[in-house]
Amino acid sequence: MSALRLCLSASLLLLLTTQAYGVEGGAQESSSCLSCHGALTGRLGEPVAAWEGSVHAANAIGCHSCHGGDPTIASMEAMSPERGFLGVPAETEIPPFCGKCHAGVEEDYLQSAHGETLGAGGPQCVTCHGNHAVAVTTLDLINPESCSRCHEYGRAEEIKGALAETDRLITELQATTERQHRLGIATDDQRKQIFAVRNDFHRLFHSVDVQQVVARSGEFQQRLQPVAQELQATDEELSQRRLIGAGAVLLLALVTVLLGFLRHTYKKEEQSDPGAGSGPL
Amino acid sequence: MGLKQRAFDWLDLRLGVRDILQQNLTHYLLPRNINVWYTLGATLLVLFSLQFITGIFLLVYYIPNTEQAFASVQRIMNDIPYGWLVRFLHATGSNVVILVLFLHMLSTLYMAAYKRPREITWIFGFLIFLVSLAMSLTGYLLPWSQLSYWATTVATESAGATPVIGEAMIHFLRGGPAVGEFTLGRFFALHVMGLPLIFALLAGGHLFCVRRIGVSRPPFGPDYLPEAPGTSFHHTDHSGGIPFFPNYVVKDLMVIAFFLTLLAAGAFFAPQLSLPPEAFEPADPFRTPPGIKPEWYFLAAYQLLRILPNEFLGLVVQGGAVAFLLFLPFIDRGPERRPGRRPLFLGLFIVGLAGFLILTVWGYLS
Repeated sequence: MSALRLCLSASLLLLLTTQAYGVEGGAQESSSCLSCHGALTGRLGEPVAAWEGSVHAANAIGCHSCHGGDPTIASMEAMSPERGFLGVPAETEIPPFCGKCHAGVEEDYLQSAHGETLGAGGPQCVTCHGNHAVAVTTLDLINPESCSRCHEYGRAEEIKGALAETDRLITELQATTERQHRLGIATDDQRKQIFAVRNDFHRLFHSVDVQQVVARSGEFQQRLQPVAQELQATDEELSQRRLIGAGAVLLLALVTVLLGFLRHTYKKEEQSDPGAGSGPL
Repeated sequence: MGLKQRAFDWLDLRLGVRDILQQNLTHYLLPRNINVWYTLGATLLVLFSLQFITGIFLLVYYIPNTEQAFASVQRIMNDIPYGWLVRFLHATGSNVVILVLFLHMLSTLYMAAYKRPREITWIFGFLIFLVSLAMSLTGYLLPWSQLSYWATTVATESAGATPVIGEAMIHFLRGGPAVGEFTLGRFFALHVMGLPLIFALLAGGHLFCVRRIGVSRPPFGPDYLPEAPGTSFHHTDHSGGIPFFPNYVVKDLMVIAFFLTLLAAGAFFAPQLSLPPEAFEPADPFRTPPGIKPEWYFLAAYQLLRILPNEFLGLVVQGGAVAFLLFLPFIDRGPERRPGRRPLFLGLFIVGLAGFLILTVWGYLS
C-alpha cells in the first residue's frame, strides 16, 4: 500500500512539474472585451488579433485602458457610459485619446504643423502609427510612401536625417540594457533613464520643426552619456567575468587531461602486472 | 619524527586510522575491468556537495517572503561580491546534477547492476533521483520570478486531476487558494531543509549498501560469468583487482574534473540555458508570460502529457513508468547481466531511451 502511495506521489511530482508549462499565448489579462470580441468576426473581432501583436499588449495595456468600460463584467453593461466606456473616438478626439498616456507627445503635436491641421484633413496619431496593431516606433515610420500621402518627402527626410544619430544611440543603449538584463544585471535605473530621454526625444520630432530638431539633438545625446558610461562599465565587468571563466574552464580542462594521462599510466602498470591488486601497493 | 607523523600515530593509536585508510583505500579492491561509468557516483557526491555549499551561500542573503524574495535575489546577483557566480553555479549545477543522475541510472540499467543482491541499493538510488526532481521543483519557486510564479501556479493547479483528493491537494500544496506567501514558505522549507534531510538519509543508505555489498563487476569480457544467487549474505570482493587508491581515485577525479569543466563553462558562458528571460522578471499575478517550457529533463514527460487525451491518463502512465523502474529488480530477476544475452531487455532499453529522446526533442520543438 505504501509502495503504491509512493509511486502515485512520484508520478504526481512528474505530472505537476510537466503540467506547469501548458500555458500558451502572450501576456494577456483576463478581460470580457477579449473574450467577447475575440469570438466575433469582421469589424468587431479584428481589433483583438491586431492588438495581440502590439506594443500595448506586450505592456499589458488592455482595451479598457483606452476605450474605458469595465472588463470585469461579462455583459453589455461593460460598455455602458456609466462604466466609463468611451467607444470609438472621433478624428479630433484621437490626440487627447492617446494623450491620456502620451501627454508630452500630444502637447508637441498640437503645436506642430500637423496638429494645426487636425480636423481639416491633417494627420493625427492613427494616420502614422495605426490603431490596434500599434508597434514600437522606429525612424522607419518616416518614409516617402507614408509622408507623401499628404506632402512632399523632402522636409520629412531632413528631420529623419537629424534624428538618426540620437535614435541610433537610444536603440543601441536599449539593446545593451536588454542584453545585460538577460544576464541578471539590474538595469532598471538605466532603462528608466533611457525611457525618459526617448519620450522627450519623441516629443521633439512630433514638433516636425527641422531647426528645433537639429538644435536639440545634441542635448539628448548629452543626457544619454551618463547611462552609456554606466553600461560600458558593466560591459567591462562582464568581460572580466568571461576572462575569469575562461581561466577556470581551461584550468579544469587541463586537470582533466592530466588526470587522464595519469590514469593511463596506472592502466599500463595494471596490464603489465596482472597481480597488481593482490596486495597493498 | 615529524609533527605530522606523531599526530598521525597519536590518532592511529586511538582510532586505528591506518587500518581504516588501508581498508577503504589501498586494500579496497575493485574489478580489473571496471569502467568509466562507475565514476558517476563519486561525481554526483561532488556535484551535490557543490549544490549544498552554493545553496548555503544563497541562503545567507535570500529572504523567503513574497515582498522581498525577488529583490533579495537581485541583490545577490548585483551587490554581493561574486553572488552572480554562486547563483549561476547553483542554477547550472542543478542541471548538471540531473544529467549525471540520468547517466548513472542508465549505466546501472544497461549493466543490470540493480539485480540481486543490489535491489535495495537501486531503490535508494531511484528515490534519490525523485527527491532531486522535487528539489528542482521547489527551488524553482524561490526567486519569486515570473517563471517561478506561473510554473508553480499551473503545477499546483494540475494536482486537481487526482481523483477524489484533487482539490484538497491543491490547497495543501499552495497553503491557500492561490500561490502566495504560504506556498513560498512551504516550498522554501522543503527545498532548504525537508528534502535535503531526506536526500542525506537516502544517500547515506545508498552508500552504505554499495560499501556493504561491494561494487558489482561489469558484465563484460570473455571471463565474465553470472553470479549464482547466494543463500546468505556475501560481500562481493575482487581479489586480484585494482586498488581504489590511487588507481581508481584518479579516474574518479578525472571524470569529476570533466563535469566541473562543463559546470564552469555553463555558469560563466551560458547561464541563460538554466535561466530563461522570465527568470529575471518579478512575479506578476496579472500577467502570464508566453511560451514557458519545462526544464529539459521534464520535456519528455511534458510532451507525453500533451499527446495523451487527459491528465488522469497522464498520471496513470507516468505512475506506471515510475513503478516499473522502482520495482525493476523484483520484475527482472534472472541472474544474467550481459546485455548481449538479454535481447528483450536490450530492446526495451533502446526503445525506451529513443522514446525519451524523441519526446524531449519533440517537446522542445513543439
